Amino acid sequence: MTTQELNVRSKQEASGAEHTRPGRAYVPDVDICETPDSLWLWADMPGVDEKSVDVKLADGMLSIDGQVSLQPYDNLAPVYTEYNVGNFTRRFTVSSDIDAEHITARLANGVLEVELPKAARAKPRRIAVSVA
Amino acid sequence: MTLFKFSPSFDPLAGLLDLQRELDRAFERSRGSGADLSGRGVFPPVNIFSDKDGHVVHVEIPGVAPDQLTIETHGRTLTISGKRDVSVPAGGSFHRRERGSGEFSRSLQLPDDLDSERAEASYQLGILTVRIPRKEAAKPRQIAVKA
Repeated sequence: MTTQELNVRSKQEASGAEHTRPGRAYVPDVDICETPDSLWLWADMPGVDEKSVDVKLADGMLSIDGQVSLQPYDNLAPVYTEYNVGNFTRRFTVSSDIDAEHITARLANGVLEVELPKAARAKPRRIAVSVA
Repeated sequence: MTLFKFSPSFDPLAGLLDLQRELDRAFERSRGSGADLSGRGVFPPVNIFSDKDGHVVHVEIPGVAPDQLTIETHGRTLTISGKRDVSVPAGGSFHRRERGSGEFSRSLQLPDDLDSERAEASYQLGILTVRIPRKEAAKPRQIAVKA
């Protein structure tokens, strides 16, 4: 596994479907890892609390949405800004081999962690060989 | 937000981003008055705001354990450093790796009228907020008018 450097990338605006509420939406950085039992996904969503995050799986499409509260910015005047603030949204197509009933999601320190367990039929099955 | 304008591009933070463009132009022309930064384009990106009590620095660093963060003030310099670890489940193979991991350190020069001794920091929802109040001597003073 190569070690990655931390570099600065400006947030990419999400294009495509518009939301009913106005406001910019950005694409969160995501890590996706597959283990024999599940598919794991981590998304960087700083500023999003667990009441404002939405994880949905519908028609083979996983969507993650996070809303950022603008209330901390109420009395603040910008002096120097390097990054944009806005909501987060991203969509992925996942294969149908996911057990949608048992998807779990956790939000800690601005990182959304989603576990998508594979359906039983998708797990590798070991077949025992007996000596005849 | 109760305000709703009939405009297709109403954006609650449009003012913030307009200022960012203005500041980009201003920095190209002259040195800023007040906050002087070393290492623009360095991780992690910071936003600096001011309110009536002083300055507030926001840093977006999701996924850092609070005990891995070090915030130091030394005179006019504020240094934020830490380490971001990305958890790797055993036996997994990555499809995508977009989130970086590793150590980071960033120094900021603060304006002279701030009291770095009374700075406070909190880390919530992946955003580090450092509040540095203004020095007592630098606060605006009301002058009473004598009859």
